[in-house]
Amino acid sequence: MEAADLGSERGGQQVIHTLLLLTLVAVQDTAAGKMVYTKWCAGCHGDNGAGDGQGARHMVPPPRDFTGAIYQIRSTPSGQLPTDADLLRSIDEGLGGTAMPGWKSRLSERQRRDVLAYIKTFSTFFADTTQRPQPIAFSKEPGGDGGADALKVGRQFYDSIGCRKCHGDQGRGDGPSAPTLKDDAGHPMFAANLHENWRFNGGGTVEDIYRRLRTGLDGTPMPSFSDLLEQKFLTDEQLWRVAEYVRSLSPKEPPVVRDVIHAPLTKRVPHAPDDSAWTAVDTYWFPLVGQIIRKERWFAPAVSGVWVKAVHTADSIAIRVAWDDRSQSPDTAWLAHLGRVFSTLSDDSTREQPVPWPDQLAVQFPVSSPTGMERPYFLMGSPSAPVYQWRWSSTARATAIAGLARGVDRFDPIQGAGGGIATQSVYDHGEWRVVFTRALASPDTANQLPLRTGRAIPVAFFAWDGSNGEHGTRMAVSTWYFLALDEPVPARVFISPVLAMVLTLGLGMLVIWRAQQKTSYRRQQ
Amino acid sequence: MKGRIFSVVGSMLLLTVCSKGNQSSAAPAASPTAAPTTAPAAPAASSAAGGTITGKVKFTGTAPRNPTIDMSEEAACKSKYKTTPTEENVVAGAANSLANVFVYVKSGVPAGQKFTPPTTPVVINQDGCRYHPHVFGIMVGQPFEIDNSDPVLHNIKAIAKANRPFNVSQPSAGMKTTRPPFTAPEVMVNLECNVHGWMKAFLGVRPDPFYAVSKDDGSFTISGLPPGTYTIEAWHEKFGTQTATVTIAGTESKTANFTFAAH
Amino acid sequence: MRAYLKHPFWQAVGLFVAAFLVVEFVIPALPGSAVVPKSVVLQYMATVLVGILIWVSDDEARWTTFKEPLHDVLIQPRLKVVRTVLLAVVTLMVGCLTYSQVKASVAAPPNLRSIHPAPPSQITFRGKTITLVGLENPLRKQGDIAAHIAEGHRIYYQNCVPCHGDHLDGQGHFASGFNPLPANFQDNGTIAQLTESFVFWRIAKGGPGLPREGTPWNSAMPAWEEFLTEDEIWSVVLFLYDQTGWKPRTWEVSAEGSK
Repeated sequence: MEAADLGSERGGQQVIHTLLLLTLVAVQDTAAGKMVYTKWCAGCHGDNGAGDGQGARHMVPPPRDFTGAIYQIRSTPSGQLPTDADLLRSIDEGLGGTAMPGWKSRLSERQRRDVLAYIKTFSTFFADTTQRPQPIAFSKEPGGDGGADALKVGRQFYDSIGCRKCHGDQGRGDGPSAPTLKDDAGHPMFAANLHENWRFNGGGTVEDIYRRLRTGLDGTPMPSFSDLLEQKFLTDEQLWRVAEYVRSLSPKEPPVVRDVIHAPLTKRVPHAPDDSAWTAVDTYWFPLVGQIIRKERWFAPAVSGVWVKAVHTADSIAIRVAWDDRSQSPDTAWLAHLGRVFSTLSDDSTREQPVPWPDQLAVQFPVSSPTGMERPYFLMGSPSAPVYQWRWSSTARATAIAGLARGVDRFDPIQGAGGGIATQSVYDHGEWRVVFTRALASPDTANQLPLRTGRAIPVAFFAWDGSNGEHGTRMAVSTWYFLALDEPVPARVFISPVLAMVLTLGLGMLVIWRAQQKTSYRRQQ
Repeated sequence: MKGRIFSVVGSMLLLTVCSKGNQSSAAPAASPTAAPTTAPAAPAASSAAGGTITGKVKFTGTAPRNPTIDMSEEAACKSKYKTTPTEENVVAGAANSLANVFVYVKSGVPAGQKFTPPTTPVVINQDGCRYHPHVFGIMVGQPFEIDNSDPVLHNIKAIAKANRPFNVSQPSAGMKTTRPPFTAPEVMVNLECNVHGWMKAFLGVRPDPFYAVSKDDGSFTISGLPPGTYTIEAWHEKFGTQTATVTIAGTESKTANFTFAAH
Repeated sequence: MRAYLKHPFWQAVGLFVAAFLVVEFVIPALPGSAVVPKSVVLQYMATVLVGILIWVSDDEARWTTFKEPLHDVLIQPRLKVVRTVLLAVVTLMVGCLTYSQVKASVAAPPNLRSIHPAPPSQITFRGKTITLVGLENPLRKQGDIAAHIAEGHRIYYQNCVPCHGDHLDGQGHFASGFNPLPANFQDNGTIAQLTESFVFWRIAKGGPGLPREGTPWNSAMPAWEEFLTEDEIWSVVLFLYDQTGWKPRTWEVSAEGSK
C-alpha cells in the first residue's frame, strides 16, 4: 500500500521540492566535481553524462550513460542503485577490459569524491529517497576451496544454472546465445571470456565473481542469481563453487610478456595442435591491440592476445599459435551482432554491409635476418622494406600462404617453392589452435627468411576475427617480439666451469696447506 | 476550499463545451485542450459505476509475417509446439482485427486522484520459451510475479527508464520470483530474455486502473471512468500509437475505435 | 655472546650484513625511492667492505684479533667440517658463475633509442614545405584560443585516447600492445621539454618519419598527416599543453629546446 502512495506521489510537487533541496545541499560538492568531470571524464561520457562524449564512438563497449543510473558493478540487488562505495570502486580501479582506467593514482581522493557526487546528479534516482540502495550482506568464501571436488561442484552448477548459454561450454564467451547479446541501448555485448579474468569489468578474484553472480550486471544481459538462493535451487556454498570454477579457468596470474620465444631442440616436429609433445613446451603470451595506425583503422579488435609455443629439430620448426575467438568464422549467426558493432563505432572504416568473413592469423618475420638492430616496419613492412609472412585463414586450414607484405594493404603471395606453409588447425569451444611447420632452410634465402639457431629472430603476430567484421586493415596487431631456436649445449660450455672449479679447489687447498705448515713450523720452533 | 469550488465550476464548463463533440474518434488527435486540468467531483474509482469505453482495434494493409523461432537449442520448449512457433509481433484476427494493443487513458484523470492498486499480483509466465501474456498492464504499487514453466534457464530483464530496470534469472521449471512493485507510470517497460533473443513482452505501468489489452477480435473495454474528457492512447509494438478523445458524462458507454496502418 | 660482540671479526661481519640490509630493504622503503639495482648494490657493498677492512687494519692489535677466526678455520682440527664445507661451497659457486657466463642464451637485442632525436629543419606537409626552426603555434595568435583547445580536445578523444590515455599519461587501453610505450605527456621529460614545432613534427610524421636513431620500425605513432589537417594538429598541440599544464619551450628562451 505504501509503495502505491509513494508511486503516485512521484510526479507531485513535494518530490520536486525535495529534489531541489537535495540539489542545493549537494551543490558545493558537485561544483568542484563538475570541474573534474569536464576536464577528465566528459571526453568519453559526454558533457551531460549521456555516454556520448567525443571519444564514445571509438570504443566497444561504449562509455557508461549516467542519466539512467544503471550500473554494472554494484553490491546491491538487481534493480537497485549502487552505493557510493560501489561507484568509487569503479572510479578508483577502472573497469577491466574496457577503456575506463583507474583514477586512484591520477586524481586526489577529494577530486574522486567530488566527481562521484557530480555523476550522481545526472539521474534523479539518486535524489529519490525511496531508492536508497541496500547492499547485500555477502557471505565469506567457504573453506575447502580450490580442490578438484569443489571445482567439480562448481562445474555442475555452471551447467545447471545455464552459464554456458552465453559464456559457452568452456567459458570462452561462445555460447549459443552469445551472438544475440546487446545492452539496453542496443549496443553489442560480448559474453565475458572467462579465461581472461584480468579483463573482467568488476575484477577477477573469486570474491568479485561471486558478487557479480549475486548482483548481476545491470544494463547487460548478465542476470542476478540471488533469487536462486532464496528459492533453494542451490546453496550459497554451491554458488561460491561456481565462482571458484570460473576463476579456475584463468591463469593464476595475468600473463606477463616475455620478449623471446625459446624454441627448444626436439627429436621430432609435432604437427598436430593437440600432440602431447606440446604439453612440455613453455608458452609465451603476446597482447594484440587494434590496428589504429593506418587507414582504415579498427578500434574494436576481438582477439586480445596469442599464446605461442615453438620447437625445432635439426631441419624443421613448428610454431603453435593459440588464441580465443568466440566464433568459427565464417559464421552467419553473428551477422546481426556484427551490424551492431559497425553501427556503434564511428571511425574511418567504410560503411560496409556485414559479410561472414573468415578468421585469419598472420605470423611475420623480416625477409632476412637483420644485422644490427634495424628491422622492417613492425606494421607489415613498407614498399621499400617488405616483411615475410605466413597467412592462415579458417577457410583454407591445411596451408598458410607465405608471402611478402609491403605495408598493411599489400600482400604478395610467393609463387612456387616456399609459397605454402603446412598447417594443422583445431577450433575447440572458442579457441583456435594452429601449428605452422616449415623447414629451417628456405628455397629463396633473399625473400624467405632462413631460420638459424642461436639468434633472436624478430617475429610479430596479427589476427582477424571475421565475425567481428575484421578483414584487410581491420585487425589486431602486435609489435615485434623475438624467436630463438635454442642450440644444444655444446660440450665446450662445460669445460670452463670445470676448469674454474678445479683451480679454485686447488688454490683453496694450497692456502690451507700453507697455513697449516706455517703453524706446525712455529710449533716446532 | 477555493480550489474545490473552481474545479467543480471548471468541470461543468468543460462538460458543456465537450458535449457537442463527444462521439469518439479513431483518427489520431492530439487534443491538449480536452484534457481537464482540474479535478471533477468524481465518484471513487473503485466504484462499479461510471462510464465505459469500448472499442475495436484494426489495421489496414497487409500484416507483416511473424518470424518463425528456431528453438533447436531448447528441446524442452520445442516439444511444446506441434507446428513451428513464431514470434508475436503482430497478432491479427478475422477482418484485420488486431490483438495485443495496450489501450489506456493517457490524460484526463485528475492528477491528485489516487487509486489503490490490487493486492493480487500480475503474473507473467514463461512457457514454451515465450512470454504469457505478451502485452499486459500493471498498476504502480501492484505486486509483480514472474513464473517459469520451462525446465530451461530464462533471465528476465526489464528495460525501463522511469522505473528501476532489473535482470534476474530462473534456471528451472516451477520457479516464482516476486519483484518489488513498479514505482512510476511508464508505457512501456520492455521485458526480454537474453538467453532466447526472440522472447519479448511489454508491460504498461499505470497509476490508475483505466487500461486494457485488445483481445484476438481486437476488442477492449475500459470501465469505471468518472465523468471527464480523456485522451485515450492505443499502443502497438510494431505500429506505434494512436490517440482518441472521449468525453464521459455519467454512467454511459462510449466507443473508441482505432485503426493502425500496417507498414 | 659478549665475546662475539667485542670481537672485531664478528663486528665486521655484523656491519657488513647491516649495510646490506639497509641498501636492499631500507632504501626502497623510503618515500620517493625505488629498488636499488643489483649492480649498484654490488658497488655499495664493495665500498662498505673496503671501509671495514681499513677500519680493522688500522690498529695492529685489532688486525691480529680480526684474523684469528679466519686463521682458525684454516688450521684448527676441530673446525675441519667448516673448512671442508666452505671450500666445497666456494668451488661450486665459482663453477655455477662460470657456467652462467659461458652458456649461450639468446636475449632480445638491446633497444637503443633516441627519445627526442633532432628534428629536420623543414618538413613537407601534404606537399607544403613547413620550416620547423623558429616556428610557433600559429593558432595562439589566431581566433579564439578556447575554441582551438575544444577542437583539440575532440581530436584527442577521437584519435589519441587508445594509446596516450584519458589522463594523457601514455596508459591508454591499447598502450600495452606497443613497444616503445606511447609517450606520457604528464611526465616532465616529454612535451614539457619541447617546442611546439617539435611536437607538431612528431605528430605530423609519426613513427615512420623518425630518423634511424629513433627506431622508426618500432614506433606505433601514426603519421597523422594522413588523417589530420595542419590546423587540426596545431589545435591538438594546444590541447596537450592546456590539459597537462605544461608550457612549451620557446625559441627565444632556448634554441636547444628543439633538440
